[in-house]
Amino acid sequence: MYLFSMILLAAIIVSVILFFIPIYRQLWYAFRIPKVRKKIEPDIPRRIYILIRNVLFQGKLFKDLGGGIMHALFFWTFLAFGLYSLDFLLAGINPAFQLMTPGLFSDIVFFSVDIFALISLVDVFHSVIRRWIIKVKRYQGYNGFEAAIILIFVEGLMITYFILGVLRLDGVSKNIPGSIMEFLSPSVTPVTYAFATLLPKATGAFGVYAYWITWSIHASIFLAFLIYIPRAKHLHLVFAPFNVFFSDRKGAQLNRIDFEHETRFGATDIRDFSWKDYFDFYSCTECGRCTANCPANISGKHLSPRDIIWDLRVAVLSQGKQLMQGKNEDEIIKPVIGDPIPENDLWSCTTCMACVEQCPVMIDHVPKIVNMRRSLVLNEGKAPREVIDLYRNLEQYKSPYTIDPSTRGDWAKDLGVLDLSEKDGDYDVLFWVGCVQSFDKRNQEIAKSMVKIFNKAGIKFAILGKDETCTGDPARRTGNEYLFDILAQENVQKFEQKGIKNKKIVTACAHCYNSFKNDYKQYGLNLEVYHHTEFIDELIREGRIKLKSPESSENNSYTYHDPCYLGRYNKVYDAPREVIGNFALNYKEMEMNKSKGLCCGGGGGRLWMDEKEGKQMSHVRIDMAAETGASRVVTACPYCLTMLDDARKTTNREDKMEVIDIAEEVAARLL
Amino acid sequence: MVDIIVLVKQMHDLEQIKPDPSTGEPMLEKSPFKMETISENAVEAAVQLKEKYGGKVTALLFGNSDAGQIMKKAYAMGCDDGYVITEYTGNNHFYTSQVLAEKIKTIKHDLILLGNQSADSVTGMLAGRLSAILGEPVLGNAVSIEIEGEDAKIKRVLEKNNYYVKTHLPAIISVTQEINEPRLPPVMRIMQAGRKPINSEKTTVQEIKNFTVVSNKAPISERKKLIFEDVDKGIEEVVKVIKEEMR
Repeated sequence: MYLFSMILLAAIIVSVILFFIPIYRQLWYAFRIPKVRKKIEPDIPRRIYILIRNVLFQGKLFKDLGGGIMHALFFWTFLAFGLYSLDFLLAGINPAFQLMTPGLFSDIVFFSVDIFALISLVDVFHSVIRRWIIKVKRYQGYNGFEAAIILIFVEGLMITYFILGVLRLDGVSKNIPGSIMEFLSPSVTPVTYAFATLLPKATGAFGVYAYWITWSIHASIFLAFLIYIPRAKHLHLVFAPFNVFFSDRKGAQLNRIDFEHETRFGATDIRDFSWKDYFDFYSCTECGRCTANCPANISGKHLSPRDIIWDLRVAVLSQGKQLMQGKNEDEIIKPVIGDPIPENDLWSCTTCMACVEQCPVMIDHVPKIVNMRRSLVLNEGKAPREVIDLYRNLEQYKSPYTIDPSTRGDWAKDLGVLDLSEKDGDYDVLFWVGCVQSFDKRNQEIAKSMVKIFNKAGIKFAILGKDETCTGDPARRTGNEYLFDILAQENVQKFEQKGIKNKKIVTACAHCYNSFKNDYKQYGLNLEVYHHTEFIDELIREGRIKLKSPESSENNSYTYHDPCYLGRYNKVYDAPREVIGNFALNYKEMEMNKSKGLCCGGGGGRLWMDEKEGKQMSHVRIDMAAETGASRVVTACPYCLTMLDDARKTTNREDKMEVIDIAEEVAARLL
Repeated sequence: MVDIIVLVKQMHDLEQIKPDPSTGEPMLEKSPFKMETISENAVEAAVQLKEKYGGKVTALLFGNSDAGQIMKKAYAMGCDDGYVITEYTGNNHFYTSQVLAEKIKTIKHDLILLGNQSADSVTGMLAGRLSAILGEPVLGNAVSIEIEGEDAKIKRVLEKNNYYVKTHLPAIISVTQEINEPRLPPVMRIMQAGRKPINSEKTTVQEIKNFTVVSNKAPISERKKLIFEDVDKGIEEVVKVIKEEMR
């Protein structure tokens, strides 16, 4: 017996050491390699909250219900088994070390272990069916081998757990050291009890040998599992809880670059990612929810956020290993752009944030992609031709278009709008028109509709006319932080000089809205900014405008397309739907809506780029809209309107549906 | 190794020039300056040659007090050195070539690059005039440039054939807009360029006005202002109108 205890103790010590060696390495990489500093605010209550919500209750996993249930059941089994496993191994070393003593607490623990053991026993089959029979698309081609090993481990643990339990209830393990739960009444472990009554009773020497062998298998699987975890995708068991805990509320928001002091811009190699990014890499399980929801991937492009994260992880692990051996940094570290991450993939991203939204372990893909774009643009001056033209226009004309900026306010010429670039005046609300609505004929209709709405509600408003300039969003999202910085500083200065920062700002562009609401905070500008859907919703609630209610003879049916920068970026999902509720008799959501809304293809600077690879994203979206049978697709962003209206025309749906902005319908229905 | 002088012109942003409604003349004062578009191609071509063969690129600009920003852009794109000659008085290629030649004579060079014609005044005279003054051969309208030992070889695209010409250095080469896509300068270079001093000097050459701009007005175009309201028949009618006009 003594010998057995010693062997077990040695095995446990070896396994624990083998468990911690890779983790030590991974932590070394995370805190030694990065050249970027990442500060995090304490913000403890929120961190505890997200830890409980997203780890304990597996909150984000349920965004994919099937996979979510499968995973949550395993996770809860894993938790339930925590104390059991500890007790099991301790008792194996010496029965006196057992932690659990008779009482309510151990009854609860062992009861849940018993129930979850059955659940996991079945859940393994559920997983096998999902991966190898139904063939859920996002798993295909990714680590089937590792998944199989883990499932075999789990199933092995559960089967041996039940065998041990049955033998215990048969009474063979009474005096065997290493046996636990002996003091439990059979009713605490009802599943085991049921198995025991179904199976023939084991007795005598057979029973004892069977117990020993099963015990050893159970312990071996457990320790093998422990060794395996940090060496495979199951590393997320270690890092994901920390990653969730340390995640900030930024999501896809980008950091500001201090051009005065910094010398490395963007992310070129593994040194340019922070320790938190490393935690992101370590937490990835290749579940593929990001890629399954990526509009670029859905529309047939090569970009896959999962592959980007995984490629970075592979780069960190292999280059980190060599660095830890003391090899020369300059020889070991290779850029990650080009190989393994193709430049084209970086430019395919619309920064729509669908990946970030879906990731259960709170990985931020978008800032990494934009940081790699920054590396290309800021360090090498590399960008697609259209993007370079975009930068020229932003520099020269302060808008994405090659159009004389002095004509920016021309759309409002005959509308009696107070144009602050022409004369001063009294106003409460600054209507920030945005470039697309100022210069694009179709989108000017949105701006004109807003004027009607303001006037009807009796709001004193003004526009900046030719003094308005781009917020810099297209520059920032395409990685030209330098240009964004210039545009943002000009705007911030202008807002301060003109006293605008004390006024309400309303904009009908989701991208301008996000810039004001989030980007400009980094420049110390806190504005009271409303997206026009929020503002209109408020006007209707306060009764300041009234809309013609729909006549029963109207046969228009509606659906709503969520702009990414309004929905996912700023969590405005309800206001536009409330407004639509005022006039739509027939309303149907699209297949992917709200936080899962599929991008129109216009974000991240893509509105100004050619889409050559795969299908047009906007076509995929307009097809979804068509499936609802809607005759009017309502949206709330000029980018979306442009993309979807083009898609409507190029897919020959001109006589079947219209694409409109919410403001246009509201303006047309004003009473 | 090729030491290159690249000639850079400053011009008004043509997109932002509007004709004065009463006189029809362009209102230049409201339009900011920028680097003339084909000069940008010339700078890019010069920097590419430097990157390929080594050497030094010196930018030379005859302009006014706004030229500093344009020179900084040339620096950011990769020019090593630059001179701004101030007191540009307006479009006079006769005088411009004399001023530039005076400065060029003081700079050691193998090659002079410039745009084949400026986007604003479109005279296309400068390369020829400089050749006359400096006695260096001109290769015009290059879409690609190669240096072969002591020679420069260019490709020129004609209507039906590609034409290759070669000459010995030093030489003058004018480039077309098709030669390249000007680069987006990296931020580090923009910032370095911002700190780099601008060498500004005046010319001693006296201006001789030997031609006069008689008029520079926007042509008056009479719009027909036809509106077709019937969408179904509209296209046919538009086609008819266009066909008639073409006759």
